[in-house]
Amino acid sequence: MNGLIIRTVAIAIVSCIALLPITWMISMAFKPAAEWTTAAGEISLIPKNPTLSNFVYVFTGNAPDQVVSLDRTVWGPLFASLLTSVIGTLIAVVCGTAAAYAVSREKINESIGLSLLQLRIFPPLAVMIPVMIMWAFLRMIDTWWGLALIYGIVTLPFSFWLMKAYFDELPREIEEAAIVEGCTPFMAFRQITLPIVASAVASTALFIFILNWSDYIIALLLTRKDWTTIPVYMNALATAASGQLYGAKAALGLIAAIPPVVLGISIQRFLVRGLTFGALKQ
Amino acid sequence: MSRIVLEGVTKRYGSTVALDDASLTIESGSFTSIFGPPSSGKSVLLRLLLGLETVDAGRIFIDGMDVTNALPKERNLSMVFQNLALFPHLTARENIAFPLVRRGIDSGTIDDRLDQVAGILSISHILHKKPAALSGGERQRVAIGRALVRDASAYLMDEPIAALDARLRDVMRVELKRLQSEFGHTFIYVTHDNEEAMSVADRMAILREGRIEQIDVPDAIYAKPATAYVASLVGSPRINLLNAEYTAGGVVSPLGKLAMVTGWREKLKSAKALRLGIRPEAIQVTPNDTGSDIVASVSDVERLGAFSIITSKTKDTEITAIAAGDARISVGDSVGLSINPSDCHLFDGSSGRRVV
Repeated sequence: MNGLIIRTVAIAIVSCIALLPITWMISMAFKPAAEWTTAAGEISLIPKNPTLSNFVYVFTGNAPDQVVSLDRTVWGPLFASLLTSVIGTLIAVVCGTAAAYAVSREKINESIGLSLLQLRIFPPLAVMIPVMIMWAFLRMIDTWWGLALIYGIVTLPFSFWLMKAYFDELPREIEEAAIVEGCTPFMAFRQITLPIVASAVASTALFIFILNWSDYIIALLLTRKDWTTIPVYMNALATAASGQLYGAKAALGLIAAIPPVVLGISIQRFLVRGLTFGALKQ
Repeated sequence: MSRIVLEGVTKRYGSTVALDDASLTIESGSFTSIFGPPSSGKSVLLRLLLGLETVDAGRIFIDGMDVTNALPKERNLSMVFQNLALFPHLTARENIAFPLVRRGIDSGTIDDRLDQVAGILSISHILHKKPAALSGGERQRVAIGRALVRDASAYLMDEPIAALDARLRDVMRVELKRLQSEFGHTFIYVTHDNEEAMSVADRMAILREGRIEQIDVPDAIYAKPATAYVASLVGSPRINLLNAEYTAGGVVSPLGKLAMVTGWREKLKSAKALRLGIRPEAIQVTPNDTGSDIVASVSDVERLGAFSIITSKTKDTEITAIAAGDARISVGDSVGLSINPSDCHLFDGSSGRRVV
């Protein structure tokens, strides 16, 4: 009983420490400009005059408590982030799953997995500068397809290795049982394997979506203005008159957290349990 | 209903030969067990039959049709995999119905077949559950149900009951045998358990390192093992194998000289070095050593109730024998062993082939 109390208290303390920055961000998002810094005299965790003006500001470019209007609203970056992250995730998950399945089942060319890791072995800048040069040559800078494609490519190793681990865990006899019963190998994959690994695909997709969604450096190098993403846009959120727009950034941080959370909750039921539980003896 | 014939089937993986020139005929309606130690080629044989692997040499016939290069689905064989390979995302009912659904059979017929199979295996009450919610024995039955639900030319089983506990294994063994004889199915049953192989099958093939050592009815394999290796695999406790030599007067082993049996002289003519096999159950153990040819000192006694396994030593040779369950023998005792020469097996010392 004592142990339980101590544990509960310990968890509460750790949670408070961990959640403090996030709480602060949420509170900041609803504070008027005057409360952002110590200029108002003191910092309080709860906004004294809660306002939605930060959200209004990033979405419309104007707000009553702001003197300077923004050149660009968040709509463009929001759309750019969503589009490129989703397409990049699709590319990585579809190609990664297919490649992982082939390598796991045929036991050939396992080195393909290592060669995929090349992109991740070097420091990001060492990889991205050459890519930027190539993309410029291919006229893919500041295009949605250029950014989506590179997102798909750099996250491919993750989806490949995650999915390969799942396929390796799935005994091939399960597919062979289907083949003996008259399935072609492709039908066995479609009707048996894919439904079994659906949860793995979902969690891999979520993981990769978050990677793409929170990318900064690639978008910084490969976009100029039309297709800048939220992280790049956020960094630019400052004006000469007011300096760093803390409130607007906090509001944007809150907005940026929504898609991964919504996605995570919607596939939550897939994110649990082992894959083959019950297929085998034991 | 069909006859399966393998002719000189060979399968290699790289430099290892998994199956070496194996020829085997499986009669329609028979229960054939394929028996051998782990990685002797048993599972490979099934995979080749199923068409999950292709042969490197040789031919396979089902019902007189050459299926050597046929696709798995063209062979009409059914399989219970060693690890069961149930579909974890489907219920027991969907698992069992899968082969029928795949073949586009109408749902009325499927329901009838399903009820019948579930009844036979007594799993009607668990059909709505997914494999994860079933016990080991129930999963086993579902896997067997999935194999039995359709009319296949033959039903292949790869150690289907190996993972069950001993009691359940005995029950399933009897049940499988009953199912097979009731419907006259052709069963091919792979196992590494010699008791299981002996008890269920009406024919038994013994594999050693990819080669078929002997094919016969279980009784004959026990009574007349073709090689010393087979003799050592079949029968429990294990047969005593001793080095022996044929001299003009008889067969000499560490146990002394065996009297000649009629007919031996002719067969032993060309033999020199021999292996002498004596089954533990063929040795008479007498608690006191008076009047026995062989005197041994007991080093271990395993009491199993109905009988006891006596391990004894004579002149550095270890001999296992079986005595009555209530025999008053304990470790350290001196016992007399007597052997009837006509119960002995003699194998060639170098090839291991049976001589008499």
